[in-house]
Amino acid sequence: MTAMRPFSFASFASGLTVLALGLAANTGFAASSRASTPQVEAELVASAAAIRPGDEIQLGVRQKIIPHWHTYWVNPGDSGLATQIGWTLPEGARAGDIQWPTPGRFKLGPVVNYGYENEVTLLATVKAPADLQAGGRFPVKATVDWLVCQETCIPQQVELELTLPVQAAGSSVGPGSPLIEQARTSLPIESPWPIEARAGKDAITLRIAAAALAAHPPGELWFYADQWGKTAHDAPQPVTVVGNAIEIRIKPGDEPLKDAETLSGVLSIRDGNGRVQGYRVATPVSAAAGAIAAAPQTAESADLGVGMAVLLALAGGLILNLMPCVFPVLSIKALSVLRHAGHDRAQVRLQGLAYTAGVLSSFAALGAVLIALKAGGAQVGWGFQFQSPPFVLAVAYLMFTVGLSLSGVFTLGSSAAGIGTSLADKPGYAGSFFTGVLATVVATPCTAPFMGAALGFALGQSAPVLLAVFLSLGLGLALPYLLLCFWPALQRALPRPGVWMERVKQALAFPMYAAAVWLVWVLAQQAGPNAIAIALGGMLAIAFAAWLYDSSRNAHVFARHGGTGVALLTLVAALGGGYAGVQSSVANAAAPATATAGKHAWEPYSKARFDELRAAGKPVFVNFTAAWCITCLANEKVALSDASVTDAFRQAGITYLKGDWTNQDPQISAHLAEFGRSGVPLYLLYPAGAGSAPQVLPQLLTPSTVLSAIAAAGPATASPKLAKE
Amino acid sequence: MPFALARTLSRRSLFKLAVATLPLAAVGSAHANAEIGQPAPAFTAQGADGKPVSLAAYKGKTVVLEWSNHDCPFVVKHYESGNIPQLQKDATGKGVVWLQVISSAPGKQGHVEGASAIKINGFRNAAPSAVVLDPDGKLGKLYGAQTTPHLFIVDPAGKLVYKGGIDSIPSTRKDDIAKADNYVKLALADLGAGRPVAHASTKPYGCSVKYAD
Repeated sequence: MTAMRPFSFASFASGLTVLALGLAANTGFAASSRASTPQVEAELVASAAAIRPGDEIQLGVRQKIIPHWHTYWVNPGDSGLATQIGWTLPEGARAGDIQWPTPGRFKLGPVVNYGYENEVTLLATVKAPADLQAGGRFPVKATVDWLVCQETCIPQQVELELTLPVQAAGSSVGPGSPLIEQARTSLPIESPWPIEARAGKDAITLRIAAAALAAHPPGELWFYADQWGKTAHDAPQPVTVVGNAIEIRIKPGDEPLKDAETLSGVLSIRDGNGRVQGYRVATPVSAAAGAIAAAPQTAESADLGVGMAVLLALAGGLILNLMPCVFPVLSIKALSVLRHAGHDRAQVRLQGLAYTAGVLSSFAALGAVLIALKAGGAQVGWGFQFQSPPFVLAVAYLMFTVGLSLSGVFTLGSSAAGIGTSLADKPGYAGSFFTGVLATVVATPCTAPFMGAALGFALGQSAPVLLAVFLSLGLGLALPYLLLCFWPALQRALPRPGVWMERVKQALAFPMYAAAVWLVWVLAQQAGPNAIAIALGGMLAIAFAAWLYDSSRNAHVFARHGGTGVALLTLVAALGGGYAGVQSSVANAAAPATATAGKHAWEPYSKARFDELRAAGKPVFVNFTAAWCITCLANEKVALSDASVTDAFRQAGITYLKGDWTNQDPQISAHLAEFGRSGVPLYLLYPAGAGSAPQVLPQLLTPSTVLSAIAAAGPATASPKLAKE
Repeated sequence: MPFALARTLSRRSLFKLAVATLPLAAVGSAHANAEIGQPAPAFTAQGADGKPVSLAAYKGKTVVLEWSNHDCPFVVKHYESGNIPQLQKDATGKGVVWLQVISSAPGKQGHVEGASAIKINGFRNAAPSAVVLDPDGKLGKLYGAQTTPHLFIVDPAGKLVYKGGIDSIPSTRKDDIAKADNYVKLALADLGAGRPVAHASTKPYGCSVKYAD
């Protein structure tokens, strides 16, 4: 507030007439001073008839405003300007900020203003110096600037003067203007109820734990934020009763509150008798995570979010078809359609449906597992399954096996996994179903980084919503193949079958091998170098089993059963041995990759180190990552290890902490949850200053996004010079 | 997409595309208003000289949108002092397109016909690239313009990079101009130097835009 800003006597832009009447009241000393403009009559009044050394008195500027016009509150809303008072006081005296009565709202089309109509008295406390001489005078001058608007606005300025006699300390002082007492009753008071605020994505929820209000919700209720940009002034503020409390949903404005910043303003409640009472609110907004998990959403906003998430999931599912891990599987399936296109439409359609059913049941199963884990209170995030080394090993084996099959080392029977099933042999609906399952399994490594937003949202939602999002993702994955099966025109658009199909199939084995190589690398991060040997040994065994199975299948009965038996045994040994070996090497594995931090530009994240840096007010960049997260690795490669970025970190004195979530880490999970996240990546830049709020960087980084975040964090500590009115 | 098999589209580029599109889809929600970092809403409106003005025509150039109402005391402050005319001259001199937008509805303060809009600009030495007439308030509401003045800056790629006030001291006093941080000047300097705009969203101040009731 600039109420005490020294004022220079500028001429007026609009050239209006200000009639400063300066009427001294009839009895010499108890002077009140008035001034009028065509719209506003102003008067300066005091809470006492005289002042004594060291006294604290209240001065008030009353504005009487003609009908339909208004002046403004400390936060004028979308337009307008708060009234300002510049005080000229005797030496040693000090005036405090304006104490603002509870405001009202004025709507002009899409523009909403906060202010006063008819009449208002703005109070300020003035403290007299202790060395005031009794018998002297205490002259006060107030230069008052306001903007008064109906639809058009006029800036006006008046000067008001008042002189109080000075009395000896301890003497009795006569009463001042009754207007002061009246004005005090219109000031907002301390709230008798606990008030808390949670910041969600689209709304701030203000919770007032008032049983009486919950029992009889007031007719009219409005939260006036006292700073511009924190709330949208024009958006409705729906009120819901939640148990013994009421909750107001408030739309954030153009400069929303960051976590832990204080929401301050006035809650205005109009009771059944039409009386308005304001309550002061100043409460830090709590972490978004709490809001997402605990906020009882109104049906309307939840629907909106769910709709978006479901659509997003559908799009994500479609894109999954292009992923290096899924693409080969589907191509094989498509090739088989191709081979039999035009044969039996009904059968082709049923194949498509069986495949879709396979995908959807797998996604439903995944969703169910997540729901069960959540119900059990586990700290899960999407991609959680990749925190389990045996799971990573199993998927690596699977990729490798599928690759072998594509390379032609062996052919699986059409009733089993159904890779390259021959539709001519039998319908093989089960095969199609399992292709769907397989597609889902191989798709999961890709889902984690790509579907972060929708899945993160789904994880915070109720079970039905979570299932809806997962099924939508599945539908997206199944859609292209389903369309192909149902739309003969599409089939005809495909190239003619031929020997090339076999070549394509073989070529597609290589992405599968590549995926297996990547997973073995992930495994090495999780379980140490021994795990590599175990995984590769297991793959060797699988390759041997596959070869043995295939070469003995056309031999006579005895050899065939023998071959299959040995192959099965080898396979079991590979799986069992791999599982046991990986488990034990996890136990033995030294600290993960972060142990080698010394030579890097970053330090390993730990809660203790983080807290220490923050307590010291040091700027910190936190990167939460995992070896199985492709996006994370890409970001580190492209942006975070870029020389310009590491230089900028060094120059800005930013400590770069890297939190590795490759394996489950409750400290990191908790930190992610603070930001409403259930998975990685998450990038946070905490500017200097112990209590500073972090910037959350986007999930896809470029050097320039990081650099601009650093630039923004730098000057932000010396916050932008916005004049506060 | 299996049927894309025979095409030459490289899988890597598809992969990149997939990486790039999803997070955008997550952010690009159904907001009608202009948002920082998002593509500025496209528009074609009537110019005061009778020619249509279209944002798309200025692709590749920085565009400033300035909401104005010549009778509003806040606008008067910045025109009589020469502040906005000078900004307009400096900006257009550097190839920036400056569009002055008048959203006052007929019968409301600040509403003018094209010819008078140009005449008024002559009186006050204003030098925008063009004056846009928006008597039905469509453009104003599309951008969420609330005050006069209210400024928006669109970068050469068509993204909104600034919205807010002309400067940091909301008042009608001319001598505050020198003390204030001129956000528009700062933003244009940031853009010129290839830096991200430091204060991308600030508090607009002024009279309310006089939209139709």
